[in-house]
Amino acid sequence: MARIWLIARHEYLTNIRRRSFLFVAFGIPILTIAITMLSVTLIFNKDSDPRSLGTVGYVDLAGVLHKQIDQPDYFRAYDTEAAARAALDAGSIGAYYVLPADYLKTGNVSVVAKTDIPSALGNAFDAYLRANLSSGLDAQVVKRLQDPVEASIRTLNDGRVMSENEIGGLFVTPIIFMMVFLFASQSTGSYLMSGLVEEKTNRIMEILVTSVTPFDLLFGKIIGLGLLGLTQLVVWLGGGYVTLTLSHNFSFLSAITIPPDLALVAVVYFLLGYFFMASVMACLGVIVGSEQESRQYAAIFTFGFVIPVLFITSFISDPNGPVVTFLTLFPLTSSISVLLRMSFGSLPTWQLIASMVILLLTGLFVAWASARIFRWGLLLYGKRPSLRQLIRVVRRPPSMATSATGEQNA
Amino acid sequence: MRAIYVEHISKSYGSFRAVKDLQFEVLGGEIFAMLGPNGAGKSTTIRMILDILKPDTGRIEVLGGPINDATKDRIGYLPEERGLYRSVPVLEMMVYLGTLKGLSAAEARRRSLDYLERLGLAENAKKKVSELSKGMQQKVQFAVTVLHDPDLLIIDEPFSGLDPVNTLVMQDLLLDFKKRGKAIVMSTHQMQQVEEMCDRLLMINKGEQKLYGKVDEVRQQYALPAVRVEGQGDWSKLAGVDHVEASENGHQATLLYLKPNITPDNVLAEIAARADMHIRAFELAVPSLNDIFVQVVTGDAQHG
Repeated sequence: MARIWLIARHEYLTNIRRRSFLFVAFGIPILTIAITMLSVTLIFNKDSDPRSLGTVGYVDLAGVLHKQIDQPDYFRAYDTEAAARAALDAGSIGAYYVLPADYLKTGNVSVVAKTDIPSALGNAFDAYLRANLSSGLDAQVVKRLQDPVEASIRTLNDGRVMSENEIGGLFVTPIIFMMVFLFASQSTGSYLMSGLVEEKTNRIMEILVTSVTPFDLLFGKIIGLGLLGLTQLVVWLGGGYVTLTLSHNFSFLSAITIPPDLALVAVVYFLLGYFFMASVMACLGVIVGSEQESRQYAAIFTFGFVIPVLFITSFISDPNGPVVTFLTLFPLTSSISVLLRMSFGSLPTWQLIASMVILLLTGLFVAWASARIFRWGLLLYGKRPSLRQLIRVVRRPPSMATSATGEQNA
Repeated sequence: MRAIYVEHISKSYGSFRAVKDLQFEVLGGEIFAMLGPNGAGKSTTIRMILDILKPDTGRIEVLGGPINDATKDRIGYLPEERGLYRSVPVLEMMVYLGTLKGLSAAEARRRSLDYLERLGLAENAKKKVSELSKGMQQKVQFAVTVLHDPDLLIIDEPFSGLDPVNTLVMQDLLLDFKKRGKAIVMSTHQMQQVEEMCDRLLMINKGEQKLYGKVDEVRQQYALPAVRVEGQGDWSKLAGVDHVEASENGHQATLLYLKPNITPDNVLAEIAARADMHIRAFELAVPSLNDIFVQVVTGDAQHG
């Protein structure tokens, strides 16, 4: 038993040093953070700062702003357009608005500036206008005029309550999870498979099987690489957290919050899904001859992650329909489906439990069958066994096959 | 001590009988050669001893009983087609494989450094395996095999691909193991090495036992009723000689087949008594293992 941990430790330590792992695990989050910071400083800050043009003038020919209610300190009134123009040319203001005499009738406002107007400045001027136009009305009415709709979205079926800003998160959270799942499990799964292919190709397998049992080898590898995948997951979620904190000004991104219950279920599903997938990958690793070929089979799992996202509209419009229920329970697609439904808040508890149990049982069964094929195929070279042969191996395990004589004893 | 005891084992793959009723034993403190042409069933036999394969019939004892996880830790096995983790530093890989054989990490590390030193590879400890030459890799593989100081060493083709210097290094290591009472089984095609190093041999062909016993005795078994001489003279004039034949291996040597009841000593005395004959070399016509091997395999063995 102690050797399982030796193998797990070895797998973890050798694979964590792979360049491809380091790139995917650390490079991508660092890149994401860098890009976010860049866009925040370059685009967003400029646009969101109403003072970026300095003082802004206005010429009120319509006579609606004479009370100067709530005037921001960087607004300055000018009596004539010519005076404002002179100030702009002199550089003492960055732009000026002109309210023509017929403003109340037409609503026309012109703005004169040498550069683009940040959208935040437009909003600030709007708010200033509203405050003055509504003077004399009841304070509550004024407030409602300023912000007439504060929506809170209640998703169907007793779901989560989220405010207007959070709708982005509704879609983004599960998709981010899907990406993280996909990368983490794909990379660790393919390390598992390519490691086995390598050990078979360079015949170190013969030494391994005379040192440890196939069971130790299989589960040592699954545990070691599972911890690797978990490491990647943690790095990514940490990176995601940093990104969100940095980009707090983005109302769109800051809405992506990860509720703790969702995170917990995500980790449980990651581990269950990984166990299921790793068992199959290990099995494929010993029977498939080349690493290239093994990658093609690994693509099946990618489909499992992607299919629920293709049905995303069903998840919203018909969350209790047969398609969604099937995807929730089917072990290949359940991880992402459950996360999708939990973030939309429409997952009945019995389905969550049923889906977990199904995934766990399938995982255990597949691991059991894989262990038999794994033991049988460790020293098999050359001809790939047929499906019928594999089924026979699972049902009635013979001893290991070898290719010492070019024949197989299944 | 009996390191291996194989009792009437047979193994078939489908209708192909890879091993038929083999019976032999390997003792502690001996180097035991397992010989046979490719596909004779050597690998299958070794794999059955190592419990990778189960024999269909028969029984195998290893280090005093049926093989189990504890005895596996006392076996060192170097397969014929050997490999190492290519992208892992040498020392780290040795420590890993050593711990899989039950050594503590510290002990595995100490012994690995020790072996690397002995094999002249000390400065390569931190290098990746793929950066080593083929000969170096082979020495590392050997070190990995013996790191846990096994009581039974099973090595497939220990000298293939080694230069003469490294062959000597490897021979010394094996002889050292033998001196310490360990059992060594080596499967090889290099008959020269068997003649030089091995105490006993087993030769199988098509899964069946052909020869088994002490190397010298097996060779004696195949000795011709003849002597091989080098020198000058008309050897056919000798009274004790039946007929003369040019020796196949030996530049100027001649094979003198003896008449019944004539011993080599009689012939030697006769030659010494004659003035018209001079000998430079005189030896019994014991065939090399190589000749015996070819004879057995081609199926026309002439027992003498």
